[in-house]
Amino acid sequence: MDARLFTAVIASKTLRTTIRLLGGGATAAPGLLAEYIDSTALQKLAKYYTSLIFVTGTNGKTTTARLLGNILEYGGFSFIHNRSGSNLLRGIIGALIDNFGNRNTNIALLEADEATLPSAIRQTNPNIIIFNNLFRDQLDRYGEVDKIRSIWQKALIHLDPKSVIILNSDDHSVAHLGKGSKATVIYFGLEDKNLSIGKPPHASDFTNCIACGKQLTFDEVYMAHLGKYRCPDCSLIRPKPDIYASSVKLIAEKGFEATISTPKGEIKIKSQLPGLYNVYNCLAAATAGIVLGIKLEKIKEALELSTPAFGRTERLELDGKKIFIGLVKNPTGFNEVIRTVFEGSGKKNILIAINDLIADGKDVSWLWDVDFEFIVSKIRKVWISGIRASDMALRLKYTGAKKLETHIDDNLETAVAKAIDGTQIGDTLYILPTYTAMLKLKKILAEAGVSSQFWED
Amino acid sequence: MNKEQQPTISSKKTRLIIGWLYPKYMSTYGDRGNILTLWQRCRWRGIEVTVKELDMGDKINPAYIDLYFFGGGQDQAQKIISEDLQKVKRDPLRKAARLGSVFLGICGGFQLFGHYYRPANEMDIPGIGILDIVTIAGNKRMIGNIVAETNEKLNMDRKLIVGFENHSGKTYLGKRAAPLGNVVVGFGNNGEDRTEGAYQGNVFGCYLHGPLLPKNPQFADLLIERALERKYGHVVLEPIDDSLELETQESVVERAKKIQ
Repeated sequence: MDARLFTAVIASKTLRTTIRLLGGGATAAPGLLAEYIDSTALQKLAKYYTSLIFVTGTNGKTTTARLLGNILEYGGFSFIHNRSGSNLLRGIIGALIDNFGNRNTNIALLEADEATLPSAIRQTNPNIIIFNNLFRDQLDRYGEVDKIRSIWQKALIHLDPKSVIILNSDDHSVAHLGKGSKATVIYFGLEDKNLSIGKPPHASDFTNCIACGKQLTFDEVYMAHLGKYRCPDCSLIRPKPDIYASSVKLIAEKGFEATISTPKGEIKIKSQLPGLYNVYNCLAAATAGIVLGIKLEKIKEALELSTPAFGRTERLELDGKKIFIGLVKNPTGFNEVIRTVFEGSGKKNILIAINDLIADGKDVSWLWDVDFEFIVSKIRKVWISGIRASDMALRLKYTGAKKLETHIDDNLETAVAKAIDGTQIGDTLYILPTYTAMLKLKKILAEAGVSSQFWED
Repeated sequence: MNKEQQPTISSKKTRLIIGWLYPKYMSTYGDRGNILTLWQRCRWRGIEVTVKELDMGDKINPAYIDLYFFGGGQDQAQKIISEDLQKVKRDPLRKAARLGSVFLGICGGFQLFGHYYRPANEMDIPGIGILDIVTIAGNKRMIGNIVAETNEKLNMDRKLIVGFENHSGKTYLGKRAAPLGNVVVGFGNNGEDRTEGAYQGNVFGCYLHGPLLPKNPQFADLLIERALERKYGHVVLEPIDDSLELETQESVVERAKKIQ
């Protein structure tokens, strides 16, 4: 092994041990140090693996990677995974260093941030890359979605046919990323017209043809700009998915049932993960499992036993009250979480916590692209918290809702206490936090004895 | 007769027609919030509102619409609408501006109210020339919370407007356009002369997402007032309880000062 990499690995491991001893999570700093000592660390570390799998997309990276992790486990593979959620280069490097010296593990399952992915691809030679979706998200940090799409496309050009790219056929922005690349392309998608919501909501991004710019025609819309689209002007059309879900039954916040059809046969699954986005996450993970030659029964077993990841549609219990946590970080994610939570007729208690730190996105304008108008009549009580609580309260005010019982408290700790207090025994409190608010929420709930710290997750 | 003695506008049957330019293409940064704000603030006062979406190919009757809104979009979207803007909409919009209709443009919409947008290595993208401004592509993106003090001539009781800017274009004002405000925190039009936004008659534009109007209710009312005055003569709007709006505005001012 080369001396520089060796120094980087030792220094990084020492730092990690120190931070953990001090009670920290150590998900980013050790990798950052290694990268600083050896700028080619990722390239060198990647060579120790026979299979490198990247998972990316605006929404569902963590869940999809965890689902695939479970599938690998049931398939009998040993693998490493940057599962604590640091998906920038430093987190990826950190995960590879953690496993350094373990010769039995030759698969690396890596969740990659959208903007990080191109550089991660260039420094490694990945075997599988999953592209789940692309939506506007933290525009102050990522910039325009068109740009993300174009850097992805460029990064794929140099892949060889041994690499497999797994694309969501229903998302027009990722379905055509294989164009110009020699890599093998496999599609997953939905085939269920009962799920169609008619037309793309206001927050949809890619409603125009990426080839000619004309407005696309949608025969079915499943969420945001995802659906069965075709360009009325040029030949661009949604590819037929190789692996698809049909007969999908969404069971509010509890999960879903679906039939997954593959070239190797059909499986009926009953997942504990709720919402249509989780149908896509399961499809993406199952597709990678199939590419790796894992048997369908094992995939079914793994998908059915998977529980939600850290704060992503997670369900907890406290003092006889149920708590549901649904991370919200962009308009489409928020639209889909409220669609899941407010399914059915009953009124709900919700707590929304909006922060504007770097990891949340400093611009909270996006709250105005979320369609709260559709659900505001189904809110029984709402508590609003976080650094930008009043921005959120203002958004609800301008839905025009009359007599909405609203409590604003910038302090998340007291807001959570009040919201739990204001929820009846046996009822559910739905908490919808942005990323850093979720981290804080986890700590608050852990102190109350409900949830484990995330790096132990 | 001073303002207070006049009957408020809701005592008459009034109606505001809003034209929303390219809602599918030019609304990436929550700018829809401006439409929602104009809409609700009218409805709360009993003013009837109609929002007409002005999409690709749609023709405009300049006598019909009172207030035009034009939001911000991605670079690609601006290129897509550019041809339609020039061929189908430019002339009626220029006429509407001459007739005194009210205009609000944010970011990309603001830029296209001007004479042109000059990209680094491509042809100029022409605007519609209802604001005496030009925009030149910059190489640094200006991102962050922004606070500006409004132009004294607008005579607003509350001096500050707040929002979030995210642009690389640098906008420069010509002689006929006045700055909408002066930057207190943030970059503003070009990061150089401390101006933010511009106005010329009833045409307003600026870089403030956030969105602008919910957090700056007085500015929203100024636009509604001017748009109605065109049809109904002098109007006084019924007051609305703006405590949440103003509290949010103050929290943004503090936030902007803290993390600038």
